[in-house]
Amino acid sequence: MTGRPVPVPDEVSAPFWSAAAEHVLTVARCRRCGAFTVPPDVVCPHCHSADPAFEFTPVSGRGAVRSWTVVRQAFLPGFDADLPFVLVDVELVEEAGLRLIGRLLDGPGADLHVGDPVVVAFEDIAPGVAVPAFELA
Amino acid sequence: MSGRFAAAGKVAIVGHAHSQIRRRADRPLGALAVDTARAAIADAGLRVEQVDGFVSSSLLPSAGGQGAEDGVSIVSSAWLAQHLGVNPGYVAGFEGIGQITGSVGIAVNAIAGGAADYVLLHRALHNPAGAYHANPMREVRGVQQWTAPQGFFGPLAMIALPFTEYLHRFGARRESMAAVVVEARKNGARVPWSFWRDRPLTTEEYLDAPSLFDPVCRYDCDIPVDGVAAFVLTSAERAKDLPHRPVYVAGYAAGTPTRRRLPLHWPLDDILDGGAHTARRLWEHAGITAADVDLPQVYDGFSLFVWLWLEVLGGAPLRRGRRHRQRSPGRHPRAVGRRRAGQWAHARHPADARVLPATGAPGRGPPARQRDDRGRVPFLAALRRRGGLQRRTHLRVVL
Repeated sequence: MTGRPVPVPDEVSAPFWSAAAEHVLTVARCRRCGAFTVPPDVVCPHCHSADPAFEFTPVSGRGAVRSWTVVRQAFLPGFDADLPFVLVDVELVEEAGLRLIGRLLDGPGADLHVGDPVVVAFEDIAPGVAVPAFELA
Repeated sequence: MSGRFAAAGKVAIVGHAHSQIRRRADRPLGALAVDTARAAIADAGLRVEQVDGFVSSSLLPSAGGQGAEDGVSIVSSAWLAQHLGVNPGYVAGFEGIGQITGSVGIAVNAIAGGAADYVLLHRALHNPAGAYHANPMREVRGVQQWTAPQGFFGPLAMIALPFTEYLHRFGARRESMAAVVVEARKNGARVPWSFWRDRPLTTEEYLDAPSLFDPVCRYDCDIPVDGVAAFVLTSAERAKDLPHRPVYVAGYAAGTPTRRRLPLHWPLDDILDGGAHTARRLWEHAGITAADVDLPQVYDGFSLFVWLWLEVLGGAPLRRGRRHRQRSPGRHPRAVGRRRAGQWAHARHPADARVLPATGAPGRGPPARQRDDRGRVPFLAALRRRGGLQRRTHLRVVL
């Protein structure tokens, strides 16, 4: 649909992308210590368990803008029609320091400030493939 | 690693060479590397067969996804040794962020530990055809699946986010950064072999440049080039018999991020905290403080890094952004007031000037033409004037 790069789910990430396709944001959570991790790794970065058995847990999708940039040149295919677009660095409310990056769908005209509240939104970029983004709350 | 470096002052740089720096060289990168290595070894007064250690970092820092071809797009130490016709006993490559610094640490350790008598340290950088960071990927596997489909990709996006954070947190403006970039280019324009020779930049040109990833414009970025630089290191004892006055290594330091993030996600606090930790290690390792450094030559592959390095190397935190507002635009307080930023070398080519004194070659002293308007001379000569370092020249690698 958009020509943007599509994620190829793997054994770990498949639950995340399945939930995203349903427009549900999930974050990997270590079954040993309960901490969230973005992105999941083979070892939990919090408790350092080598068997974290991450579980993708639905989260609120609410967060605060920590930084942003307006992208005016795309290095990946499929984004040219969207230029310029905004990327936001968002700290989710679920855990201090838990940060995601995505497009801000309000566009480059948004009057952004550090701390602005945002909420997750989803872009359907291919059949059965949705990518998390954000909107000003 | 803790405390003072046990081999401080026991390892020295005794020779160096660099190739021409071109957007695209008319010869293969491997050929440039072989020639440059031979020149550095000759500069040290040595023969190729005497070099028994080879160290480098061969990373091609492009996001374009090009396959690395040794001798063409990268040059590893093993490739270089083989093509020089030698079979060294010690070959090592640094992996990670901080390619030059990491290589220096490995080379110094090889000498200090007796693994090699003479180490050739090199860095070879290639500018592939096409846009440097453009990547035609249609499917994303592995760790990039968490960022690329969302549109977060490449080093410009990486640096733009902490740049925005910095400007808003500290009240700095792009006008302030213009002074850094213009000053760096002024110095680069003075270097005979610089890509920017006789091509200074004005504040207006910087401020008028189209934004790429706000607030980053092209002049905030280094420029991809073909080029090679090489250094020869040996023990302080062996250095006595070589032609150049040695540049002794007082210490080095490195650090890695403590928090796992998305690929290329470098929040400002992560950089500053990691940098401050690295700086503390460096001062302890080298046995000096910021007050001892006459000329910092910090990594400026993105202009923001100049501010960030000054933040963490300066000792006293500069995170009180009011300093930016209190001073005239473009005058970073510590850089101008106490650190002689005007003497920085322009180090756009990662393989060379960052570990060179602004004057060019180790041990040869600064030519008069590179004195500043007040007749001051940078780094090496300045250090020689200091009481505690009489007749010894120390290279402080603070990247």
